[in-house]
Formats: sequence, C-alpha cells, structure tokens
Amino acid sequence: MPVETQYYLLLSAAMFSIGVFGILTRRNALLFLMSVELMLNAANINLVAFSYQWGNITGQTLSLFSTALAATEVAVGIGIILVLYRNFKDVDVTEPTTMRW
Amino acid sequence: MAGAFDYAAAIPLLPLFSFVIAIVAGHFAPRLLPKGGAIPGIVATGGSLLLSGWLYVTVSGTEQYFNQELYRWTTALGDEAFDLSFGLLLDPLSAYMLLIVSLITFLVHVFSMGYMNDEGETGLPRYYAGLGLFSFSMLAFVASSNILMAFMFFELVGLCSWLLIGFWFREPGPASAAKKAFLVTRFGDYFFLIGVVAIFATFGTGLFAPRGESLGFPQLAEHALNPEMHMPEHVANFLGVVGMDANTWFAIIGLLVLGGVIGKSAQFPLHTWLPDAMEGPTPVSALIHAATMVAAGVYLVMRMYGFYAGLPNVLALIALVGAFTALMAATMGVVKREIKQVLAYSTISQYGYMMLALGAGGYVAATFHLMTHAIFKALLFLGAGSVIIAMHHNENMWDMGGLREKMPVTYWTFLSGSLALAGIFPFAGFWSKDEILYEALIHGLGGQPLILLAYALGLIAVFFTGFYTFRMVILTFHGEPRTETAEDPHGVRWNVKFPLVVLGILAAVVGFVNMAPVKELTGANITYLHTWFEHGLEGVSLEAYHHILEAQAGYQAAELSSIGPGLVSLALALAGAGLAWRLYSGPEPEAHTDRLGVVKDVWYNNYYQDEYQVWLAEGVTMPLAQVADKFDQGIIDGIVNGVSSVSLFSGSHIRRVQTGVVTNYAALLTLGLVVLALGVGLFGGWF
Repeated sequence: MPVETQYYLLLSAAMFSIGVFGILTRRNALLFLMSVELMLNAANINLVAFSYQWGNITGQTLSLFSTALAATEVAVGIGIILVLYRNFKDVDVTEPTTMRW
Repeated sequence: MAGAFDYAAAIPLLPLFSFVIAIVAGHFAPRLLPKGGAIPGIVATGGSLLLSGWLYVTVSGTEQYFNQELYRWTTALGDEAFDLSFGLLLDPLSAYMLLIVSLITFLVHVFSMGYMNDEGETGLPRYYAGLGLFSFSMLAFVASSNILMAFMFFELVGLCSWLLIGFWFREPGPASAAKKAFLVTRFGDYFFLIGVVAIFATFGTGLFAPRGESLGFPQLAEHALNPEMHMPEHVANFLGVVGMDANTWFAIIGLLVLGGVIGKSAQFPLHTWLPDAMEGPTPVSALIHAATMVAAGVYLVMRMYGFYAGLPNVLALIALVGAFTALMAATMGVVKREIKQVLAYSTISQYGYMMLALGAGGYVAATFHLMTHAIFKALLFLGAGSVIIAMHHNENMWDMGGLREKMPVTYWTFLSGSLALAGIFPFAGFWSKDEILYEALIHGLGGQPLILLAYALGLIAVFFTGFYTFRMVILTFHGEPRTETAEDPHGVRWNVKFPLVVLGILAAVVGFVNMAPVKELTGANITYLHTWFEHGLEGVSLEAYHHILEAQAGYQAAELSSIGPGLVSLALALAGAGLAWRLYSGPEPEAHTDRLGVVKDVWYNNYYQDEYQVWLAEGVTMPLAQVADKFDQGIIDGIVNGVSSVSLFSGSHIRRVQTGVVTNYAALLTLGLVVLALGVGLFGGWF
C-alpha cells in the first residue's frame, strides 16, 4: 500500500516551515545554516514525491543534483562562518552589520 | 609632348620636401642644415620655377589640357553620393599663376638669406619650414582641380600665414597680429566652407572644369541658368529641396564662397588683419601680399569665374566692394608713417582693383593686374625690406631720407616698382590698372549703373595711389638724412640686390604683354594675355566667360576708345604724384598731414574699423555668448546634473533598507514570497 502523495507534501511543507522559522528566529550562524538545509531538503522531498507519483525519474535525478549543491553550499557556508568567527569572535549573524554599503 | 604634365605634381611637392627637410633636419641636426634651411628652400622653389616654366611652354603649345584625378580618398557608394579626391587642373590660368607664384617664392627665398640669415636671426629652420609649407600650400591651391581641395589648401595658406606672421612670437605684437590674421580670415572661411558644402549638395561635384564626360560645377550652373540648355537633373532635384529658383540659390552660394574671398583678399570689411600682419618678417609680407595668401582669394574667383559670370547681382556686389576697398585703403595709406604700413594699405587697395575688374567683367584685366601687382608689390616689399635692413629695423619714414645716394640699387628698383604701383606710363601697373578701369567704364556705360559707380570710386583711388606712393618714395629716399642711421645705413649684399633687380626690370617691362591701347592705335595684335586666355578647357575659356556674361548677366560693352580713359587715369596718377612731390620734396620735408584736421584722425585710425569690430566682439558677441553660456551651464547641464543628483539623493536614502543583518533580509524574502503568493492567489483565482 503506497503512501499517498499529499502526505509527502505535508511533510515537506512542515519541514520548510520549520526552516523558515529557524532562519527568522535563530541568531547562531550554524543553526541558520541548518535551517537553510531543512528548506532545501523540503524541496527535495517534493521533487522525489512527484517523481514517484508520475513514474518519471527526472525529479529524482534533479534531487541528486540539489543534494550535491547543498553539500557545496554547506562547505562554503561553514567557511564563511569560520571567517566570521575569526573577525568578530562570535557566530551571531546579527553582529556583522558593517558589511553593507 | 605632354611630359610637363607628368611632372606637374612636383611643382607643389618640391617646396613640401624643403619644408620636411627644414623641419626634420632643423630639429635633429641643425648643423647639417645649410644656411638654416635656405638652400633646400631655394633649390626646391627654383625647381618649381623651372617646372612651371616648362609647364607654361607646354600649355601654350597644346589644346589637350590636364585635368586628372590623382588620389581619391572617399569613394561614392550610393547614387546620390559623390567622390572626394585630389587632382590637378592645368590649364592656361593655373599654368600662368603657377609661374607667378613660383617666381615670387623663389625670389623671396633668396631675399630671406639677406634679411634673416645675414641679420643673425635665430629659429631659421622654423622660418624656412614655414616658407616651404606656404609655397606648397599656395601652389597646390592654384593647381587644385576641385573646390574641396582648393578649400583645404586655402586653409593651409591661412595656417602658414599664422605661423610666419607670428615668427617673432615672443614679442606681443607679432603674436597678436598672427592671431588676428588667422581669426579674421577664418571668419570668412567659415562662409566658404558652407559654400563648399552647398556646391557639393547642389551639383554633386566640386570640379572646376569638365573632366571627360562629367562637367564641372560652373558649367552645370550655366546649364541650369540658361533656359535654352537642359537643366541637369541633380541640380533640379536639389533646387526642389531648397525651394528656390536657380538664380537666387546660386547667388547665395556665390556670396558664401565670396565670404572666404573677402577674408583672404583683405576686402572691406574683413581687411583689418592685413595692416597688422606687417609685424611679420618683411620677406613674409612680400610673399603674403604678392603671391600667396592675399592672391588666393582673388584667384578663387577667377578659377570659378564661369559660376560668377552668370550672376549679375553678385558681380555688381564684387565690383562695388572692390572699388570701395580700393578707395578706402588708398586714403588710409596717405597718412601712415611706417613704410610697410603704406605698402599694406596699397595692397588692400590694389586687390580692390582686381575685385573691381572681376565684378565688371574684365577677367583678363584682373589676371593681368594680379600678375603685375605680384611683381611690383613683391619688389616694393623687398625694397622696403632692404631699406629696413639699412635702417637697423626702423620703419618710420620720417627717420629716413636721403637714402638715394647710399643705396642706388634699392632706390632705382624701388622707383620702378613705385611707378608701376602708381600706374605711370609705361610701367606695368599703368597697363593693367588702365585696362581694369576701361573694362569697368565700358561695361558701366553698357547699362550697368552700379559698375559705373564702382568705376568712379576706382578712378578717385588712382589719384590717392599716386600720392601715397610718391610720398613714400620721397620721404624714404630723397631730401637730407633725418637721423644718424639714415646718414650711415647698413649695407646690403647680393642676395638682397639680385631679387630686387630681377623684379625691378620685370616691373618696368611686364606690362608690355598686354598693351590694349597700343593695339588700338597701331592695330598690331599685341594683347598676348587675351590670346593666352582664349584657350582652355571647354567652358573655362575667355570666350565662354564672355558668352555667359552677355547671355546671362546682360553685360554689354559700350563702344569706346581706350585711349581717352587711359589718359584720364594717367593724368590723375601724375597729379597725385605731382602733389606729393610739391608737398614733400626739398631737403627738409614737413609733415602736412595735420592740415587735414579731423580727416587725418579718421584716416590714421583706419576709419575706426578696428574699434567697431572690437565693439562688435565685446559689445554684441560677448553678451550673446554669455547668454548662451548661461543657457548651456544652467539648462543643458542643469538637466543632466539634476537627474544625477536626484539619483544620488534617492540612492543615499533607499540604501538604508540594507541593514546588514541577515535575518532582516530573510524576513523580507519571506514577506515578499507571502505577498507574491497572496497576490497570485487573489488575482489568479485560487480562492
């Protein structure tokens, strides 16, 4: 008995909302990054779910790509966080406000 | 037989080489340059003179004239477009003029060795480079086959005059005189440039003379004006565009080109630059006045005479301007104290005569006077230069006197030139000036009252010419020496005397080439100049001009003997000379000019021409320019600056959205997404 697609969508929406909530409320850069990952993977779940429903593997293939993208993004993100820590002695994202105009 | 035509391009190019040599060697190896560049210049202009002589002989023995394109620098792509090219037109007129110009430039180069080298001037390579470029420009201008090329060399001549008048640029006088000469002639050239564009637009060609199948623009103009001929299609189209009839539009073009002529040939009201140009070295004055710069304007009218000949109103204006200038400049020459100033005003006056002749339909008379004037004015300037060397560069005639015994060669040649200038029988100027006045008289009596008025002005000017010429001769050479320098003048060498002697002999005899009154007396066919100009390319010969003048301008020659008018002008010239003799001869001449009262002030101040032109510049042009500047700075720049300051101001405020806190950006993004989703939902009908 296969799981209905709308449950996957509910799961994905819930994960995405958690991610958005994390971005809007967390100040720690690491948690910030994790929230971004959550949002990204929510989208991946959508891709896989629809791919499964229509019997078309294009969505699954694309989700592989976006997983790889997420990995790179984390690598760059952690790099930025390291530099942030080195310059500001902190990983609070509200601290480095001088990097605007 | 046509060998000379193959080498004709070398006539202008030789002086160009001397220019290059003087400039390059003068900069890198001044010691290698013989006589500061004089020798290359003399060799080059001597070569030009020989080639011009050869060309002259060739032209006299052929009916196949040379009118070829040498280099095309813009090729036409469309039907309505036209080629722009350099070419040579070698016909009787240009061969004749090339000979005159190369003769004068050659002699001026020789004389310069005495005036510049022997006087120990510095900067000689620059001087000779200027002379070379000047000769090149003028010779190329004379041989130009189309009006655009002529315009380019016309401008180069102006540039060279600026370089040479301002040779002693460290002194304020020459520098400002050079600037004035350049700007005043430039003002006229501005109109000339518009005229050139108008000619190309109207006729689709700038050629002076027919080349193969294609006609030159003066011939096309004749076709357009003559109702019996076929109207060229291109001209008809363009006349439709401007919405004028051919007569009006051609007159406008003619007047535009005439602007350049009036500026270069120093005619009223653009003559003011010429007396100031006396600040340059004297050989340069000789070159400018006799053969190059000033002659260029008059020559241009001769070159496109077929165009002017069909426009009676423009011709009348040319005649009147010329005659008025002749009289006005002659009166100003009467009261001047410096020898070169007198000569400067006489130049303006004599070119006025040439314009009078051209306006009155006396094409041959004008070319004749151009030649005789080139010779005697070069002679007078070189003679004046010799006097100035002797007087240690003092030009005031009241400091001279008694130089006759000290410098016999200069005296006798100067006297020959003066007799020619005053128009005394049988010297050159008599024949040519007499012919000008005769042509003006017969065409005036033939039903042109304006030409008759111009004749009267020209006739009065003859008296003044005689007077100022002999006042100058007597004050300079006769009487007792009035200063110590005049008692013991500085000697001059062969390089000064040789050009003087050549020109002195020519000034005495050159008039015999065209003795119209003698022809009438004896019946012998000795008006060689008339015969010379009867030949030429189709439409650019004397016969064609006569035909156009009669058919289109309505010029009729009255039947009149040339002997009576000749005697009248001779009598007037003698009266002027006699009056000068009466007033100024004797060991200690007195200044009589004060007796003229107010008139003397007016003449001495050149009719306040400079003052009113300065007033025009400062009182009218400057406020206008200031208003334009306000408009430019305030409105044009204001709009641009306003736009930029609005963006700067708004940018500096809107950038505050960028807080630098990542959470805020995320919130904005989320908010934006929500708003977008709501918007799409509401208007897209999700709910």
